[in-house]
Amino acid sequence: MSEKIFKKIEDAMQSIDGIKKASPAPYFFTRLEARMQNEKNWWIKITEFLAKPSIAFASICLIVMINAIVIFSSSKAKNTASTQNNELASIDEYSQVSATLFEYENVKP
Amino acid sequence: MNERELISLLKKKDREAFKIIVETWQGMVYNTALGILQSEEDAEDISQEVFMQVYESISSFKEESKFSTWLYRITISKAMDHIRKKKRKKRFAFIQSLYGKDNEVKIDPPDFFHPGVNLENKENAAILFKAIEKLSENQKTAFVLSRIEGLSYNDIGEIMAISDSAVDALLQRAKKNLQTNLKSYYQLHEA
Repeated sequence: MSEKIFKKIEDAMQSIDGIKKASPAPYFFTRLEARMQNEKNWWIKITEFLAKPSIAFASICLIVMINAIVIFSSSKAKNTASTQNNELASIDEYSQVSATLFEYENVKP
Repeated sequence: MNERELISLLKKKDREAFKIIVETWQGMVYNTALGILQSEEDAEDISQEVFMQVYESISSFKEESKFSTWLYRITISKAMDHIRKKKRKKRFAFIQSLYGKDNEVKIDPPDFFHPGVNLENKENAAILFKAIEKLSENQKTAFVLSRIEGLSYNDIGEIMAISDSAVDALLQRAKKNLQTNLKSYYQLHEA
């Protein structure tokens, strides 16, 4: 390392010796209170909006509808699965195994 | 009014106690946040968030540690979260620039001037702060608490929940890494 660079590093390292503490701009508490009030108002606005009878009723309807869709689709899926199981059972029972391409090409004499 | 009385009044959401607490510790919170974030705007924003959290979660303060220790921990955690968010945004912007028109290489010059640094050291301090920015989270925390806040090893250890010898090791590594970062900076700018 050159002498010049070494000196620069040392100067930079010592540049914050005796650094004074920074403090926020005046009226910090006033700004803080205003922000807290603002955020509080925002939550109040949201709760007031959700508490409106029309919005509350619409939200409940939406939740009921989503539930109904989920229940209906899961029961439909169950039915499909049980039908497939029945088909497989009958195939097993009557040995109705479909032939593959391999079997067609390798027919025993 | 002493610290314990103030805390018990704040637990009852007393506005006057909150005001006294903010006015007593705002400098400490702001100075720490500024050392870590290196932006006056961000430091103000995070300081406000710290006191908002203090107001909301003072009931969770069990008074097992000093109030200032608790405040330092909230400040450091919020400041580090802020840096992580900023880095994620920067990464996203970089990816965007790869696919967009804006693909020129951006040079990030030292641009933070701490208001507590002497005028004659202003340029050197800005370069040092640029190097501090590249330290790992733990090394940066220990360095800022030691050199900017002027805390003892014992206080730093309490805040970071590590031993005094671990603080010493962190500071030694931070110093070494800073020297390496500064060396590459000066070598690049000498050439």
